[in-house]
Amino acid sequence: MILREQRSTLLEEVFRTDNGCVYQSDAENCFYIDFGGRAIKFSIGCFFRLKYLVDKINLPDMAANPERSSDVEIISPCACEHCYVLTLAEIVSLKELLAGAKVMLQLNSILKERLYRLVK
Amino acid sequence: MKDLLRLKSSLTEEIETILNDQVRKEAHSSALYLAMASWCDRNGYDNSADYFYKQSDEERGHMLKIFKYILDLGGSSVSPSIPDVKFEFNSFREVFEEALEQEVIITQSINNIVDRCHKVKDYMTVEFMNWFLNEQKEEEYVARRALELFDVIGEEGTGRWEIDRHIPKITYDAK
Repeated sequence: MILREQRSTLLEEVFRTDNGCVYQSDAENCFYIDFGGRAIKFSIGCFFRLKYLVDKINLPDMAANPERSSDVEIISPCACEHCYVLTLAEIVSLKELLAGAKVMLQLNSILKERLYRLVK
Repeated sequence: MKDLLRLKSSLTEEIETILNDQVRKEAHSSALYLAMASWCDRNGYDNSADYFYKQSDEERGHMLKIFKYILDLGGSSVSPSIPDVKFEFNSFREVFEEALEQEVIITQSINNIVDRCHKVKDYMTVEFMNWFLNEQKEEEYVARRALELFDVIGEEGTGRWEIDRHIPKITYDAK
């Protein structure tokens, strides 16, 4: 909500969990991910690269590895100005958030196709 | 809310994935034909080596065609890594048996893509893949004819030399 108030452009909520929220900006054709106390802007391509990187993390391996370096994971999508340094629990949360957002985006695509484009 | 997914790309994630998978298969074919060219060259079958060099180039061309198509439609093409390409073959005949098998694998894979595209109503990609289906008619014909030379000419005496001499003469006429 803070993010929505900060932005002059209208942001639509795509998906929300207890730990974060993904917004879409129609004016800028991009997404904002509000997670871990930061709201970061992502282009469409960048958003899916981030999702790919998060999904690729082997959570069981991370949990089983006793080394301190495996306590956190640094996620830095190419061509993005920001990076995330996340613990295992945070990765699970981000994964859930991005997966939910993707489903909602696909649902939006299906609705647009079936309800609007076909009848125009 | 705008449909940003569709605005970004005409391809669904699923079709983009199977097309990238086909890019990898075509690249593998290209690498395999290069290995076959190497084997033929090392064993004195110059004409067959040239045939496989040409085939290798063709497969790379196919790979690029799909690679560029994905990009043209707003998707992301992935440059594939090609591990474990078979390098040694037991006989001259085995090389051509493997070549035909490879073409059959590619045909089946393209059929699966077209089937998937029909199911998700991606007719742009169906149209694009039709070129590949036609191409596979020729590819399989040539590979099968090459293998048939082993039975028609026979491998005894100077048979393999004769087979090698006939390999470049195989052509496909669709008429």
